Amino acid sequence: MLIDPYIQQILVTIGIGIILAQGLNIITGLTGQLSLGHAAFMSIGAFSGALLTIKAGLPFPLVVLAGGMTAAVAAVLVGWPILRLTGDYLAICTLGFAEIVKVVFLNLDITNRAFGLTVPPPATSVPLPLTVLASALLVSLASQSIRCSRFGRALMAIRDDEIAAAAAGIDVARHKVRAFGVSAFMAGVGGCLYAHVLGYINPSDFGFLKSVDMLAMVVLGGLGSVPGAVLGAAFLGAAPELLRFMASYRMLVYGAMLVALMVFRPDGLLGGINLWDFALRRLGRTSQRTRGEN
Amino acid sequence: MSRIATVAVGCVLAAAFLAGCHKKEEPRTPAAGGGDTVKIAFMGALTGDVAMFGKPTLEGMKMAAEEINAGGGVLGRKIEIVEADNRGDKQEGAALAQKFVSRDNVVAILGDPTTGISKVVAPIAQKAQVVMLSAGATGPGVVEIGDYIFRDTLLDSVAMPALVDYLVKNLKFTRFALVTSDNNDYSFGLSQTFRDAIKGKNVRIVADEKIKDGDKDFSAQVTNIKAMKPDAIFFSGYYTEGALLMKEARKQGIKAPMVGGDGISASTFLELGGDAVEGSIAYLGFSPEQATGETATFVANYKKRTGELPEMFGAQGYDGVKILAAAMKRASSIDPKVFRTALAQTRNFPGVSGTVTIRPNREPVKSPLCVLEVKGGKYVLKTKVPVKMD
Repeated sequence: MLIDPYIQQILVTIGIGIILAQGLNIITGLTGQLSLGHAAFMSIGAFSGALLTIKAGLPFPLVVLAGGMTAAVAAVLVGWPILRLTGDYLAICTLGFAEIVKVVFLNLDITNRAFGLTVPPPATSVPLPLTVLASALLVSLASQSIRCSRFGRALMAIRDDEIAAAAAGIDVARHKVRAFGVSAFMAGVGGCLYAHVLGYINPSDFGFLKSVDMLAMVVLGGLGSVPGAVLGAAFLGAAPELLRFMASYRMLVYGAMLVALMVFRPDGLLGGINLWDFALRRLGRTSQRTRGEN
Repeated sequence: MSRIATVAVGCVLAAAFLAGCHKKEEPRTPAAGGGDTVKIAFMGALTGDVAMFGKPTLEGMKMAAEEINAGGGVLGRKIEIVEADNRGDKQEGAALAQKFVSRDNVVAILGDPTTGISKVVAPIAQKAQVVMLSAGATGPGVVEIGDYIFRDTLLDSVAMPALVDYLVKNLKFTRFALVTSDNNDYSFGLSQTFRDAIKGKNVRIVADEKIKDGDKDFSAQVTNIKAMKPDAIFFSGYYTEGALLMKEARKQGIKAPMVGGDGISASTFLELGGDAVEGSIAYLGFSPEQATGETATFVANYKKRTGELPEMFGAQGYDGVKILAAAMKRASSIDPKVFRTALAQTRNFPGVSGTVTIRPNREPVKSPLCVLEVKGGKYVLKTKVPVKMD
């Protein structure tokens, strides 16, 4: 590749961030169910993917899909009981689930306990950065099409008013579990890529802070907005490196930027903005009717 | 207003990106080729949870570089330390490693002091054919990553047999309670090393207890330990849990001291533990006490520079730069492809943190081992135990 490896590495960090943020956006942004345990699905994807590469040597695309599927299955199993809870209760439940997953990986021999796993380079000829960025693009497109689909509109209806959605004939529990599964699938894919990019994973990498990082990306970008999740991940991924010239003031400025953004844009960078609509309006071709509907 | 803000933020981001991307157009000089300095990168955390490992390492490195430069540098070139903070984050460590090898064209990366980030950085250094010397990583699976990967710290697998010999012969300890923190990779590894070291010796583990990092209540484990009347409690975890465990042990009337690795050598251990940790024994690769020769000079200079006594990471960072410089001199080259062979042949290097020999498998052997005891609320050097160099 023509881009220098340093930029490549930052782009990869951002790409993985985008995949994770899109995943969380589906359940938290679109469906309105706060999950504080998405790092758990990331770790399930990371460890299952890593093990498939180490033990079975499967082709990389299969490994990534399997990592996502494992996380999705786990999400459906755990989602069935806990998604009946709402708000704070659900958040605490997902938090607990994430801790359980971490402790399980810390005690399994197959995941090498607290030593973690060293992941060999994946069995593929496609450069990893390219795979990550292509996956980020695919996941974002999938996210956007879910948002515009009947399923996506049902999710947003649940977010806005669960009772009204149920009255309109939406099977709320079923939709929530499906959204949770899709969301975890993306987190699993992100985790699997993370494992192969870094080459070493440890259960402690996927703690509460990782979940909060994901949430920060989604909230910063704008809850429910697909381009917002991209922008949020890009911002949080690039800022620490762009601010590097500030040496020890770096994290201070980084924190101040987050605070300022939340003060001036409480809905996130792209919250409440329909990019398509925005572009049309710029071109002076806005139809009054579509604006009125928004 | 809000739209203007969005556009403004977008513009700032875009500008920042462009500024960041612009640099990549600079022509790349091959590693070790350009400039009249030799660049050695510092990899470690200067902020965050593990900054206490990174900061002294960097201080030590700078001291060594200044001394070498004052004496004319290496092969007529000055040593330049390239520093950056990775916050103890693996993804930042990876990005920085790429920056060091592709933009800064360093010949060697010194760090990371922790095993986890070392394992992320090592494949990048190996692929770019840049030497990596970790001053601190003690876990398994680091130097195995490739033939450019080294470390200069006293390994537990090297130190433990010597320590166990000392505990058995000099202190007459034969019955141990072993306490492991099973969500801590360092603790898990150290306990395993302890088990390996006592094999074939007249030593028994009478109680084998598990705790977790973050636990506060150890009454159940201590009750079990008390029933077995051990001579000592071997604790492989970190200072916070160690201090709380000893408090509970003293409360329940256990007189046996705690023995542990560098995990329980921290001021927090003394502050939290108070009287309960009196008599505790920790072993380390370095102690500023009873220093002789070059180590004494190093200790005095470090104190003058920072106002504090150096501890292990400062000494190892200092030694790391000196070991690299010595290898470059022996190889008459600053090309990592050439001097790594000389580095692998380091024998009996007189470092300030002990004598260093690098084995054919690139693992270091160091001597001596410093055994510290807590006396009057301070760590006091009890003895220096020589380690067999083979």
